[in-house]
Amino acid sequence: MTTDTLVITSESRQLARLRAWLGEQLARRGVDAHTQSELQVAVGELTTNSIKHAYGGRAGQPIHISVASRDDGVVIHVEDFGRPFDPRGYRQPDLNEMNESGVGLYIVKRLADEFSFDLARERGTRWTLVKYQRGARPNRTA
Amino acid sequence: MDIQVTQTGGVTLVVPQGDLDMGTADHVKRMLTELIEKGQSKLVMDLTGVSYIDSSGLGALVAAMKQARAVGGNLKLCGLQDDVRSIFEMTRLIKVMAVHSDRQEAVSSW
Repeated sequence: MTTDTLVITSESRQLARLRAWLGEQLARRGVDAHTQSELQVAVGELTTNSIKHAYGGRAGQPIHISVASRDDGVVIHVEDFGRPFDPRGYRQPDLNEMNESGVGLYIVKRLADEFSFDLARERGTRWTLVKYQRGARPNRTA
Repeated sequence: MDIQVTQTGGVTLVVPQGDLDMGTADHVKRMLTELIEKGQSKLVMDLTGVSYIDSSGLGALVAAMKQARAVGGNLKLCGLQDDVRSIFEMTRLIKVMAVHSDRQEAVSSW
């Protein structure tokens, strides 16, 4: 499994750089353009979450983004070292409302085939998302 | 982010160019708020030049739309690229926001 990692700091201006890097990594792995765009949004949302919530808007804090290939798709990790995500504070957005905030993680869930987070760490949160190649997604009902 | 603003009759046309993310959303929101506060609440935003939008960008547009509607106006959208449109569909904003296929249709809808 080949893994590539980008380390950025917690400023919003880094997001464009992240998207460019991620696009290159995914293209190199044969991911189609539409899926690249979806994953750029999903990873952008997680990184924004780290900047806003884990680091409370403090600049200069590290965020690690890694992309790994595997036979059936790609695995992406977004890792910060700030305040851990608190799942008890998460509310699924009511999409009948016109939400000005709170839809970021919902978007990630919709765009990833698998999505999880790891809080069993000294600091911060490690988000993991999996995107399968077309036709490779396991049948969960089997 | 580069944003062009043009008055056409009683409608204000706003044309951003670039990505609408956490880094640019506040700028867009501030600019739309200033227009509405100046009485330019009949707004059309042409998103042809926006290939990326995230939840921060959506939040800025929703906030401006609510503000415009509160004073009798609206923020109407047009020119959504496929990837941008799919985010609006996913969050169901496509149903509550006025979305038109092109600039002419959006402007003339006023």
